[in-house]
Amino acid sequence: MRATPRLLSGMISLLILIAALTGLDYYARSLEQRYVSALAPLDLNQTINGIALQRAALYQSDLLPVYGSSEITMIDTQYDAEKFFSAYPTGFAVFNVANFGAASLTMAQDLAALGPDLRGKKIVVSFSPATFTMSKLPPDYYAGNFSPLHAYEMIFSPYLSITLKIDAARRMLDFPDTLQSDGFLRFAILEMTRPSKANRMLYYLSWPLGEFQIMTMQLQDHAEVLSYLWSHSVSSGVKKTPQTIDWSSAFSSALTAQKQHTLSNSLGVEDEDWWWYQHVVTKPIPAGSEDKGFIYRVEQHPEWIDLDILLRVLQELGAQPLILSRPMNVQLWEALGVSEQAQDTYYVKLNSIVNRYHMPLVDYQQYGTDIYFSIDQGAHTSRYGWVYVDQTLDEFFHDHLH
Amino acid sequence: MWIKRLTNFFTTIYTNPTGRVVLLTLYYLAIIAGLIIMYGRGNFTTPKFVYQGF
Repeated sequence: MRATPRLLSGMISLLILIAALTGLDYYARSLEQRYVSALAPLDLNQTINGIALQRAALYQSDLLPVYGSSEITMIDTQYDAEKFFSAYPTGFAVFNVANFGAASLTMAQDLAALGPDLRGKKIVVSFSPATFTMSKLPPDYYAGNFSPLHAYEMIFSPYLSITLKIDAARRMLDFPDTLQSDGFLRFAILEMTRPSKANRMLYYLSWPLGEFQIMTMQLQDHAEVLSYLWSHSVSSGVKKTPQTIDWSSAFSSALTAQKQHTLSNSLGVEDEDWWWYQHVVTKPIPAGSEDKGFIYRVEQHPEWIDLDILLRVLQELGAQPLILSRPMNVQLWEALGVSEQAQDTYYVKLNSIVNRYHMPLVDYQQYGTDIYFSIDQGAHTSRYGWVYVDQTLDEFFHDHLH
Repeated sequence: MWIKRLTNFFTTIYTNPTGRVVLLTLYYLAIIAGLIIMYGRGNFTTPKFVYQGF
């Protein structure tokens, strides 16, 4: 002891540190399980960028995680699933993991981060046709939804095949700004995507450090959740009021409300957004004149690559997903020079990709001619459209989806 | 005066082999705690952007 007091003290300190961090991890997980239902409606930043709360939600039998983008967050209404099911009327509530501009590559990383916890779990992956039919994913949208924790989990996941990780890594390299501040992650991504065995070896050699980094970030994630719980008075209790939903009444009241917000036009566009589209009335675009450009854009869109990556993540991790798209507003797109036939390009491609993975898909194409389903060209869900979505979620949760 | 007493106290402990290990361990733990407080906090914020549709 006299010869090596520093070594002994160092080892004791290390053991105490490991014990303390293990205790913190255990304590945090138990609190997250207890509070996740109460935190669900708060849409915390940590819910989206961390994984602790998402993981806790997966283990709640009465929470249905819904991953998505602006089609979920665009309008604040009592009909959106989070509010509609907030009192657990049919035995569950929705746990949203959604943000503006979050596209398939973001969701793929997010879901990859959950690893084996996803196995056998029901989740919903939602998106709108806008991500496939309009401009490419802007780098600032991707950066605004980029989580280093999710990115590390994707790149170093032991639960995903190397081919899938390489495909994801290649796409991540298309957004170099997000990797600029993290030389190690950039190194690992570059090495894994290079073809030689030496590069691949370097990637595998970086693995332990990657895992250590993940462990650190996971603890930081727990610490953020604990910090929130300690600094806010959150009650773990959630009020649950079972009731039978009167769907026809919900459809009727939502439609009335939606009509009140689209009085300025006959295309179903939300009044406050109509200024953007009114040129189609004052200066009409010839029918079908934009078809060629539209079809080319949809068929070549890189978002399909990302959707494929997302579906492979879900398949390799053994999740039970529902893939939920939205209908394009046929009349509005026609007014913008894209015929209904050209619009079908999106649905055909979507179905062909999703069907490859034998996952249930609801695209609501049959409601494309209902101008009140969405509020704009981006197919952001309207009040009325939300009731359809709510009904689908209810059927999916209760295994009644046909 | 109290500084002198404190110094004597620690010196006495430090001369004992077991006390020395305990003191060193506490010292190391204090350093680790300081490092965690200073650099341990994660950054889960993302850059702001203006969403203008796709």
